[in-house]
Amino acid sequence: MPRIVFASLAAAALALAPAPLQGQTGYELYTLPNGLRVILAEDHSAAVVAVSVWYNVGSANERMGRSGFAHLFEHMMFQGSANVGKGEHMQLIERAGGDMNGTTNEDRTSYFETVPSNRMNLALWLEADRMRSLAVTDENFENQRETVKEERRLGVDNQPYAKAFTDGLTQPFDSTSCFGYAHTVIGSMEDLGAAKTEDVQQFFDLYYAANNATLVVSGDFQPASARRLIEQYFGDIPRGNDPEPVSCALTYGTFGKTAVVEDQLANLPAVIVMYPIPSHRAADTRPLALLGTILGGGESSRLNVSMVREAKTALQAGAGTQSRRSNGLLLTFAIANQGADPDTLESQLRAEVAKLAEQGVTEEELRKAKNNYRSGQVFSRQTAFGMAEALQHYAHFHDAIDEIDTDLNGYMAVTLDDIKRVAHTYLTRENSHTIVVVPQPKGGDR
Amino acid sequence: MRSRLPNAFRLAGLTLLLAAAAILGPPVAHAQFPTEPPPGGELRPLPFPEVQQVKLRNGLTLLVVENRRLPILSIRLSMRAGSREDPKGMEGLASMVGELMTKGTPRRTADQVAAEIEGVGGSLSAAAGADFFSVFTTVLSENAEMAFDLMSDVLLNATYPEDELELARTRTLSALQVEKSSPGSLAGRYFQQALYGDHPYGRQPTEESTKDLTREAVRNWAGAHLGPEGSLLVLAGDITLADGRRLAEQYLGNWRGKAPTVRYASPPPPRPTAITLVHRPGSSQSNILVGNLATRPIGDGTYYAVEVANKVLGGGVDARLFMILREQKSWTYGAYSGVPTRKDGGYFQASAEVRTTVTDSALVELMGQIRRIRTEAIPDSEMAAAKGYLVGSYPLDIQTPQQIASQVASAILLDRGIDFVRTYGQKVDAVTPTQAMAAARRVFRPDSAVVVVVGDGQALYDKLRAIAPVTVIDVEGKPLAAENLTPKATALALNLDQVVSRRDSFAMVVQGNAMGSVVTETVRDGDDVIISELVSLAVMGMRQESRATLAVGPIVMKTVDQTMDLRGQKAETHLVYAGGRVSGTAQTPQPTGEIETAEIDTEVLAGVLDDNVVQGLLPAFPLAEGAEFTVNVFRGGEGSVAPLTFKVAAVEDVTVPAGTFSVFRIEMTGGQQPATFYVTRDTPRRVVKMVPAGQPVSLELVK
Repeated sequence: MPRIVFASLAAAALALAPAPLQGQTGYELYTLPNGLRVILAEDHSAAVVAVSVWYNVGSANERMGRSGFAHLFEHMMFQGSANVGKGEHMQLIERAGGDMNGTTNEDRTSYFETVPSNRMNLALWLEADRMRSLAVTDENFENQRETVKEERRLGVDNQPYAKAFTDGLTQPFDSTSCFGYAHTVIGSMEDLGAAKTEDVQQFFDLYYAANNATLVVSGDFQPASARRLIEQYFGDIPRGNDPEPVSCALTYGTFGKTAVVEDQLANLPAVIVMYPIPSHRAADTRPLALLGTILGGGESSRLNVSMVREAKTALQAGAGTQSRRSNGLLLTFAIANQGADPDTLESQLRAEVAKLAEQGVTEEELRKAKNNYRSGQVFSRQTAFGMAEALQHYAHFHDAIDEIDTDLNGYMAVTLDDIKRVAHTYLTRENSHTIVVVPQPKGGDR
Repeated sequence: MRSRLPNAFRLAGLTLLLAAAAILGPPVAHAQFPTEPPPGGELRPLPFPEVQQVKLRNGLTLLVVENRRLPILSIRLSMRAGSREDPKGMEGLASMVGELMTKGTPRRTADQVAAEIEGVGGSLSAAAGADFFSVFTTVLSENAEMAFDLMSDVLLNATYPEDELELARTRTLSALQVEKSSPGSLAGRYFQQALYGDHPYGRQPTEESTKDLTREAVRNWAGAHLGPEGSLLVLAGDITLADGRRLAEQYLGNWRGKAPTVRYASPPPPRPTAITLVHRPGSSQSNILVGNLATRPIGDGTYYAVEVANKVLGGGVDARLFMILREQKSWTYGAYSGVPTRKDGGYFQASAEVRTTVTDSALVELMGQIRRIRTEAIPDSEMAAAKGYLVGSYPLDIQTPQQIASQVASAILLDRGIDFVRTYGQKVDAVTPTQAMAAARRVFRPDSAVVVVVGDGQALYDKLRAIAPVTVIDVEGKPLAAENLTPKATALALNLDQVVSRRDSFAMVVQGNAMGSVVTETVRDGDDVIISELVSLAVMGMRQESRATLAVGPIVMKTVDQTMDLRGQKAETHLVYAGGRVSGTAQTPQPTGEIETAEIDTEVLAGVLDDNVVQGLLPAFPLAEGAEFTVNVFRGGEGSVAPLTFKVAAVEDVTVPAGTFSVFRIEMTGGQQPATFYVTRDTPRRVVKMVPAGQPVSLELVK
């Protein structure tokens, strides 16, 4: 064939080929004698360093009668330790020009700082001081218990419908077979009220031990300095006992009757229909995530187009997956627009799901969902903090950290048949649970 | 990129090392854990990539900041026009252009624009600020061509559809409504007006200006003000100058035009400090704004010195205003200061939201702190903390291509020069206490300050007059005489023959669905009236019974008793009106299930109504088209009296389950929750419908 034809063929082939893989993520993994897992990921393009510590404990580790501890610790960890005063953590980081926060979910608790590169030592020192000597005192416990209650009372972090998305998601889980996911992350105010400081200390000793933690340092640092500081600050923290793993069993296909959630912040009714799905590690996670995007992730998704724009029964409609260490959930939801009652919303949500299971999705829809996933991954890893989060994610929810670079291939390889298959397997009526959100009037209003 | 050493390799290395150590002697004990935070090292110069610049033939300046680390491209197109160019009477026009630009072109509908950018996982926005208009998009670099195509299409060919304009107008009007009952927003509005006077920065969108916007005006503004000459196209990320230039010329090459140079009225010259008091009756909080016009030149270093001085004064929770007014005095949830920059002259402002009772003290303290930083040397510890934050946080603000594009654009548009980004940290670090104080003297002017206080004028007027001259206005901006601050007894002459015994049933309708019921009953026996109400929301297990007794003749409230049952939890309110006061207890259930109890003991003037009787008595009000009257109403929920204004806005027909009626539409404003009532014109008059403003709920008569 003439050269020019080869060239055009090559060009055409390139145009059709899937986009190339991201470059290899450079990182170093090692473990201290006390069990602390360390991941170092150098990147000198910005003069910042992100320090992240994930403790392998979440609300799923709590036992009946003692819920709310994991989240309570998110507060306790800022109340001071042997060499850091109450509130001083935040102040020191602010004065260094850094950012910081902590989050709790069902499976793990995270603490992180982003600082200019010359303050890496401060961030490491602060994390080490509270890991080795957090002040678990009666006073701190009392104060933070009150703060948590206040948070719940004022709905400080609550947006309308947030309550349904926290309380409501415990519905499909049964307390005896999976207490971990059958209760909320914030826990019960009764349990917190009944807890004693000794209980809290025990929880800390078991779960906030070096051997139960992973430290990630990502960004503009010299590995030799980082290793030296980590050894100096964390090296002599004693090893603790290894906590028992949590068991969570869920039987698919146990149809859940509708639960009603009242919401003082909501003006309009809403409906959530959710489906239990496998653990994040499972292969089906990938087609399910893409299915969620096609079904309800954005302006051009099926639910948005059919319910918000065409039928106009919903002000807002969408879908997504909540993927966890054990069983997660695929959620579909809609907030009512004029003339729509919860029954109508529910049947429309179910109809779209059934249609997708029946007919599958189009090549174009799948291609766009994959594009979205890929770009999302790139954008989320732009910053030192984003990279640290990615490393932590793979270290905790995947079988190997190396999947940070290969996971994407799995998503790109999902086929139209895979989508249909997972829809048939998991998105069935028998496997569904429904929540109806009802607006609650504010005190004093009609 | 570093490659990971296989474990076996490292283990072998470690074994060698240990062996070596064994030969050389016992291992050295590792260093002790420090008991103090370790000090920071030297901050190396910021790795800011080179900025390449070229001017295109149509006058557009192209700047490329190449960074090939990640396959991301961020595009920011900035034009030198903004809401500053809104014509008088059409405030909000530039913002509307921004909102509608991405809502359709001849080639793409609004949905298609959204689908296209979403389909590649990117973002696209257009927005107008006070001085500059920006269109910005971020995509994976492989979609560079598509991003240019889409961006140029919306910029050059936007159709600004009529239906989208109406949707946007409705949204803006709702937002303005909400703003009116937000004291913080009111404070900002009147502050800007006082600072800038006739200069466009002092003018804000209003209901009228928003209603007057037309599609033609939107299109004309875009055509006249958005041109390539003087504009910047910043490309940051995975792109070369050559490719950037090619794409810019291909997609924006035919773009022509130059924004007209406009002259504006000058802002007012400095005047001695004066206070504008915006009267918000019954307000338990006051919003304070203090400030003055200010420019801070870069060349002589004032800019950086002010950064430091402002950070020390009120730049966050680690600053003097916060620490003193909140932590020490517990007067406020937050007090801050800032020095916003504007092309035509920025300003300095300090703010606090405080309890009514401590407003004057808080204002005095605020002014005192402003004076102090101008005259007292800033201690080294505060200098270090302020600089630590400013210098240290800067690298966090230039991590991503999007952030970089934004920083570069700002630096050029505000005439700071490209080097501004690179040298910010070191210049701030070099500021001395003397320089900071000198800059504070220059830029913070407490003796010629504009002060705005939004709050309860009756409680504040005399106290504020002791601090500086006070002008009083109402929330609409109309001047108020001092005597109008004291609530007057409202002598509302009821049509007593409209106060008849009756019983009405209403459905509580949410988006067309009945979710509950309300039954109201009036029983009249001579001049004694009992107004009761039963609210029932079975769906959430709520039931509330109220019973109010009063005399009519002149209106004299007597008692109010209310019981709420919320899923078994009871909350009660019992109030007695006697001797010019109302007293008792009011309970409100909280989301946690707790009940909050408030003790009430408030002075009330003759003629006051309890809010539980307003709806019941409304039919007896002297209703006529165009009539307007004000009534003092005591709200148990807030524990205070507010003058509510009722305006008969129109006569119209309304349909409810009970039938179609010719009604007076009455707008009620002045409290926390404005509402619209529909009362029949035919006698005996009755309320047939009630709609609280901004809520998708209505109460409709069933029988």
